Amino acid sequence: MTVMQSTSRGPWISSARGLSAPGAIVWVLWLILTGLGLYGLYLRLQYGHILAGYGSYVPWGLWIGLYFLGVGISGGAFLLGGLGFILGLPGFSTRSELRIAISLSVAALIPSFLGVALDLGRTERLLNILAFPSFTSMMAFNAWMYNIFLVVAGLAWLISFKDHSTWLKPLLVAGCFFSILFPSQSGVFFEAVRTNAFWHSPILSVLFLASAVALGSVGLLFTRYMTNLSGKTGASQGQDADQAVGRLRVVAIFAIGTYLVFEFAEFSVAFWNPGAHSKSMIFLLFGDYWPVFWLLHIGLGALIPMALFLSRARALWPIASALAAIGFAAARMSVLVPGQIAGQIPGLQEAFQDPRLVYSYHPTLMEYLVGCLMLAVGIATFVVIQRLSDTIGQWTKQTA
Amino acid sequence: MNRREFLLAGGLVGLGTAAAVSVIVKDRLPAPPIDVTGEATVRKLSVLQNVAQTETEDPHVRMQRELVRAMSKPVEQRHWIMIIDTRKCVGCQACTIGCIAENKLPPGVVYRPVVTEESGVYPNVQLHFLPRPCMHCDNPSCTPVCPVKATWKRPDGIVVVDYERCIGCRYCLNACPYGARTSDFGRFYTSGAAQGAPVTGDRAVYGPVGPWEKEPSNEYLKHWTREHHDSPVGNARKCHFCLHRLEVGQLPVCVTTCIGRATYFGDSNDPDSLVVELKTKHNCQTLIPHWGNKPQCFYIL
Repeated sequence: MTVMQSTSRGPWISSARGLSAPGAIVWVLWLILTGLGLYGLYLRLQYGHILAGYGSYVPWGLWIGLYFLGVGISGGAFLLGGLGFILGLPGFSTRSELRIAISLSVAALIPSFLGVALDLGRTERLLNILAFPSFTSMMAFNAWMYNIFLVVAGLAWLISFKDHSTWLKPLLVAGCFFSILFPSQSGVFFEAVRTNAFWHSPILSVLFLASAVALGSVGLLFTRYMTNLSGKTGASQGQDADQAVGRLRVVAIFAIGTYLVFEFAEFSVAFWNPGAHSKSMIFLLFGDYWPVFWLLHIGLGALIPMALFLSRARALWPIASALAAIGFAAARMSVLVPGQIAGQIPGLQEAFQDPRLVYSYHPTLMEYLVGCLMLAVGIATFVVIQRLSDTIGQWTKQTA
Repeated sequence: MNRREFLLAGGLVGLGTAAAVSVIVKDRLPAPPIDVTGEATVRKLSVLQNVAQTETEDPHVRMQRELVRAMSKPVEQRHWIMIIDTRKCVGCQACTIGCIAENKLPPGVVYRPVVTEESGVYPNVQLHFLPRPCMHCDNPSCTPVCPVKATWKRPDGIVVVDYERCIGCRYCLNACPYGARTSDFGRFYTSGAAQGAPVTGDRAVYGPVGPWEKEPSNEYLKHWTREHHDSPVGNARKCHFCLHRLEVGQLPVCVTTCIGRATYFGDSNDPDSLVVELKTKHNCQTLIPHWGNKPQCFYIL
């Protein structure tokens, strides 16, 4: 295996002596994802939304779920990386370690934007949301917040190359503040729909914040573990990375646990006192969506990762992280879809029959393919930013 | 963090919070109407001018007279409402079809479906029909969620969509509890439909979109052809009480096509109008009132 020395690039980035074995695997996977994703993009651009599974009664589907997943990873990664740096925690206190968190945060947000852009009926008017915003809408507020956050994160990343700057920590504080706000606002995005009993619950913003912390911790754990794989020869960096991975594992356990507790609290109210939201709840827990909730979200995405995190075998932790990310993708869909399948006028679906006027949703192949593209874009963004980090880092060292 | 860094951090967070609060408050405050108001909106229509009024005239004729009267006032002095007498509705769906024809609605877009409900057990069974247009709520849940101010409530109570500004995010579709908004996914009824078979083969030839589907609709007093993926393809679409017809003194097409005279339309600010008379006389109900949307479509049960 090719060893990369004292760099934060990770095993998936080619060194001067070629690719490492895990790096080669990641590259092949990335190429496959990109190929599939580009075909999905072609289908989306060629046929518009005709090949999509969402309609007018279930207007949001997989891309919106993935969008909120990316937002969670982005907010959580910046929050944990930024706080760790500000507090000077071992494993988070160096600038290269901070840049990994910023790279991950930005790399999670960019594909989210892509997903939303492709989901819009009039993609070419995407910038209207910045040009003519209505801040009575959480969507406009979120859009502005993400862009301000991106500017703050970009500035923090740039300033991190300077040895002494009084602006870095203040920017990180502001970035952490935004990182708490915008994942919570993702919950408010749904809560603000006051005519939807399943969504109109104040606990959603707490759930989304807890999931952001969980996603940030598993995302960072995964990337830190992978970047450290080939960097273990650099003793101090390896130790710090080990410490970081250990801390992130604890955060992940608590955050996943917190999410489950809040979710239980929300469901128990609705379940023991059935109201307007019981239809969505039954659909989620015992209806068509039970595999997504019980198998993907609870089983594969929460209980198994918790068990793996609790084991002492460190090699299992990145696997647990990947599973937890899949689990939270399912958790997002468990909020998104059940909230849309409960029509409030009985018989409306039968009143005018059309495949787009049904209270059910299954993602289509085109949607999954575009999902692959989002993942590929995320990976590519991370790698590009990390490469830039290394290049600029080396350049600043040489010029100093 | 040293003191300077701490102050800078506080300043950035404070500045961000202040900016956020100010833009939210600004957008929550009452804003001047987007639409033109005042004398410019007064319409001097000559519809029914030469037809003498009788006491026993058809409700359609009466509503048409009242429409002309309402249009002679500035837009902000009108308030359109619809009343549907479910006792008279026979579920013929003429209003649904009329609406589709009038607005050239593509597949999957419907402004006024008629919901059929069956109640009772044989032999005591009954069918109930519930036409469901947009409720044009006085407190609509669909308009504040729009991120680009592409939908709003006009001074005369009609909730409209600006097709040229709408980005197609479909947030409003999710916010409407009545399912009254549908998205135009760019489909055509005749695209891919079999046109016939070639002389030499037995496979059907799939033709292009029928020319009648490219006829423009006149919604919002403009021409919308949907060709080349133009708006309203990709937009949220909804009932607009046939605004383009009102402007020329015609009742909404769902009113005029109703064979049972079950749909009434008029200005609730006019105390002598038929809709006010019906609303006062009957125990009118609204759909799902507990959300507080204050729907302006009333049902006589």
